[in-house]
Amino acid sequence: MNANSSLRSRVAADLFAVIARWLLGAAFVYLGLNKALHPVEFLKLMRQYDMVESSLGLNSAAAILPWFEVFCGLLLLAGVAVRGTALMLVLMLVPFTILVFRRALAIQSALAIPFCMIKFDCGCGTGEVFICRKLLENLFFIGLSLWLLPGHGRRFCFRHTL
Amino acid sequence: MDCPRWWLDCLKDEATHCEASRRNGLAITLREALAVLAFGVAVALAANRLSPRGLTLTRNYFPGGNARPAPPAAATASRQNTNHPATPAPAELLAAQLKEHGLQLIDGSTAAQLFHDPRGQQGKIVFIDARDEAHYRAGHVPGAYEFDPYHPEKYFPTALPPCRAAEQIVVYCHGGDCDDSESAALLLRDVGIALNKLLIYGGGITEWTSNHWPVETDERNSGQPAPPAR
Repeated sequence: MNANSSLRSRVAADLFAVIARWLLGAAFVYLGLNKALHPVEFLKLMRQYDMVESSLGLNSAAAILPWFEVFCGLLLLAGVAVRGTALMLVLMLVPFTILVFRRALAIQSALAIPFCMIKFDCGCGTGEVFICRKLLENLFFIGLSLWLLPGHGRRFCFRHTL
Repeated sequence: MDCPRWWLDCLKDEATHCEASRRNGLAITLREALAVLAFGVAVALAANRLSPRGLTLTRNYFPGGNARPAPPAAATASRQNTNHPATPAPAELLAAQLKEHGLQLIDGSTAAQLFHDPRGQQGKIVFIDARDEAHYRAGHVPGAYEFDPYHPEKYFPTALPPCRAAEQIVVYCHGGDCDDSESAALLLRDVGIALNKLLIYGGGITEWTSNHWPVETDERNSGQPAPPAR
């Protein structure tokens, strides 16, 4: 009986991981394409973070990031190198979330309005969004990526481990 | 909950596989991440190169300076109207920024005056719209030339000759925090247009339309007026 229920919970966890992988993959393909199809708009939005001084650096980041997100999304959908891809997503999402948060703080101090009332285009591929919603969304994506890191979501994988 | 038999079998196989891979889990994950990074960057560069909308990596898209982020006022609070892409920046700040590059800022009344100046009919006053094609077609100052500073090569053949012949050139974009008009003016300067001819209309199309001044849609000189704002 116990063995049976343990097996069921493992199946449920396995199913959840597969859905998480597909959800994360689809989201990254969608968000990446939104940016990749409007590179100039994305370039202008990248500029607002004042991260890169040189034209070459800014252009390269704006040219590479959207397609890289699409690439990672496709890997997750197909189930290729899932753990490595999940690690890359965490490494991208954490600094971006910090940057967006810092930008929102700067806007808050300039406009003197409640934090969650701040709405701006963070260059995340979703247009203008409320900051609290964006931060929660990013935390959710980080959570899913972390969930995939130990090797969950192996089902329906083309090649889970390279 | 009854699970399919094959699923349960897979789980048993996986347990053995997981145990083996868990031992080298971190090393495998790092190696995979590096492979994803290297291959992904190569794919991204190739996709950017192949895309008709791709960025040219070596081009300076912001001749006014990369390190000038849009002021926080570009963001909007939920209680504000978010229809416009930007809210006006202080005119003095903008004028000072433009002056650094030798450009002159003009206000709406000067822009309207120049628009109605008879010299415009002789091509001595030219308006340049520094927005993208979609925005230009949705509504621009009648007779304005389209000049998207992010794709200058496409617009130089049509916009440059009238600029060379003109005595005054009014460059505008959305208005407010938008600095595409500045970029366009600096690109025109770089191809030999005298700086003293270039005037930046800071209020841009946002101010122009809110004053109910004439706007035409579609192509230049189409004569099609924009539908009245609701």
